[in-house]
Amino acid sequence: MIQQVENPILEIHDLTVSYDQSPVLWNVDLSLPEGKLIGILGPNGAGKSTLIKAIMGLVQASGGYVKIFNKDLEQVRNRISYVPQRESVDWNFPASVLDVVLMGTYGKLGLFKRPGKKEKELAHNCLEKVGMNAFASRQISELSGGQQQRVFIARALAQEADLYLMDEPFAGVDMATETAIFQLLQEMSKEGKTIVVVHHDIHSAMSYFEWIIMLNLHLVASGPKQEVVSEELLRKTYGGKLNLLTKVTDLIRKKEFNPLKN
Amino acid sequence: MMTIDTNAFLIIFTASLIAISCGLLGVFMMLRKMSMTGDAISHAVLPGIVIGFFISGTQRGIEVIIGAGLLGILATLIIDWLRKKAKVQLDASIGITFTLLFAIGIILINMLAYKVDLDQECVLYGEIAYLPIDLWITKSGFSMGPRITWLAILNLLLVITFIWLLFKELKLTSFDESFGIVLGIPAGAINLALMSMVSYTTVSSFEAVGAILVVALLVVPPATAFLWTKQIKSLIKLTIGIGIGISVIGYYLAFWLDSSIAGMMVSVAGFVFLTSAVLKSKKSKFKFGTQSKEEAFSS
Repeated sequence: MIQQVENPILEIHDLTVSYDQSPVLWNVDLSLPEGKLIGILGPNGAGKSTLIKAIMGLVQASGGYVKIFNKDLEQVRNRISYVPQRESVDWNFPASVLDVVLMGTYGKLGLFKRPGKKEKELAHNCLEKVGMNAFASRQISELSGGQQQRVFIARALAQEADLYLMDEPFAGVDMATETAIFQLLQEMSKEGKTIVVVHHDIHSAMSYFEWIIMLNLHLVASGPKQEVVSEELLRKTYGGKLNLLTKVTDLIRKKEFNPLKN
Repeated sequence: MMTIDTNAFLIIFTASLIAISCGLLGVFMMLRKMSMTGDAISHAVLPGIVIGFFISGTQRGIEVIIGAGLLGILATLIIDWLRKKAKVQLDASIGITFTLLFAIGIILINMLAYKVDLDQECVLYGEIAYLPIDLWITKSGFSMGPRITWLAILNLLLVITFIWLLFKELKLTSFDESFGIVLGIPAGAINLALMSMVSYTTVSSFEAVGAILVVALLVVPPATAFLWTKQIKSLIKLTIGIGIGISVIGYYLAFWLDSSIAGMMVSVAGFVFLTSAVLKSKKSKFKFGTQSKEEAFSS
């Protein structure tokens, strides 16, 4: 079930990405509405991160194109924000929490200019939103996993974008932090921001997202949660993984096929 | 007799300038986990130096610096290509690239030996002790002082300008390159610019301290400083301090033992690093008693 939308904020057309000749994404064709909280679901190795990276131009597509705000990526970089996986950097880097959040402002600053008072204020605001302002001068090597994740989200907020792409922002984060981050994302989507989140926990995804993309090398589904969450589509996405499949079936049975009831 | 005469001052001053230039670039090379790429570049520039030398006929020509710069960038590109496209391990691709380019450089020196007066020993080891007698004489016959000192001053000024202008970009791309790309920062160009600066610094310094010892100055002071601080600004300051310190101590030790100054500088640097490493491990031992660090935290 793939639902296309009118005036999409993000349009992906026939996107194919391959590493070393073996495709990791096949003909993905979807469009996303504005102002929604969107989850990308799929098993390990389904190409979820690759999809985000292809949208951001970090991996080369071997076919198809991506349009954001109906424009090419280069023209709208300032309106897109990106949260990479926490493990993608070395946290032993000599920088403070504030330094890292300030990096979010570099895009709008441009070459050679230094962040000033205005940027610092913005960075503190963003840290406040993720509850990390007390740690502003802390060295990043001294943070816990959940705190690192919140710093990355604050950095993305400092980009002041309209479209947010987040790669597993809830990985290795405790329940309290997850809830807090999710609330923040909900507020942002209410303000009209579009947030696309790669997520691996089916259970919480059901309560978090309004729009769900299911991916397993091919695009399995993309649409409003009520319409795409069905046993058949979940089976298609996670197919073959028996253990998980029973869990999914249990989950659906408990909810009588209606994830919204919970 | 150990007094500060003009020659001693000039040698220490020049050595410090070179150590600071290398250290400043070395900090970013280390943070990018590319310290050994610096090693590769410092050897790979050899064929560029020889060709530049052959074209200009003099060791002082701008062609030498351009030749070396081009070869340095070429080495970076080959390493990158081997790693990304041919899927060779980073350490293997560094090893392959610089030994190959270096060997070509040696063959070129031998082939052109009758045409160019370029001494392999000079390129490899350098001799800073001869610095006071190698003077920059202007056309009107006026002596401006040692040529290599002027080269080192120019080099340091350019390195400082480079880092000052691109500090923000260097910091970001060293920490999280793909985020930099997402922001639209030309990460590839910044990387190549840094590599070019390393190549240029290598050429500019090789007469004084030699290509091999430049590597030590690129790697050891930043690595030592990183043991003591986790802030980028104090990391840079400490690296500068260590650079000056090893120049002074290295000179006087070499004077005392009648040995190679550059060799002594790097030995002192190595000693300072080892002492720091031992002190650091001792410090955590004092703090946590007989428990390891993790146990102390979890209990």
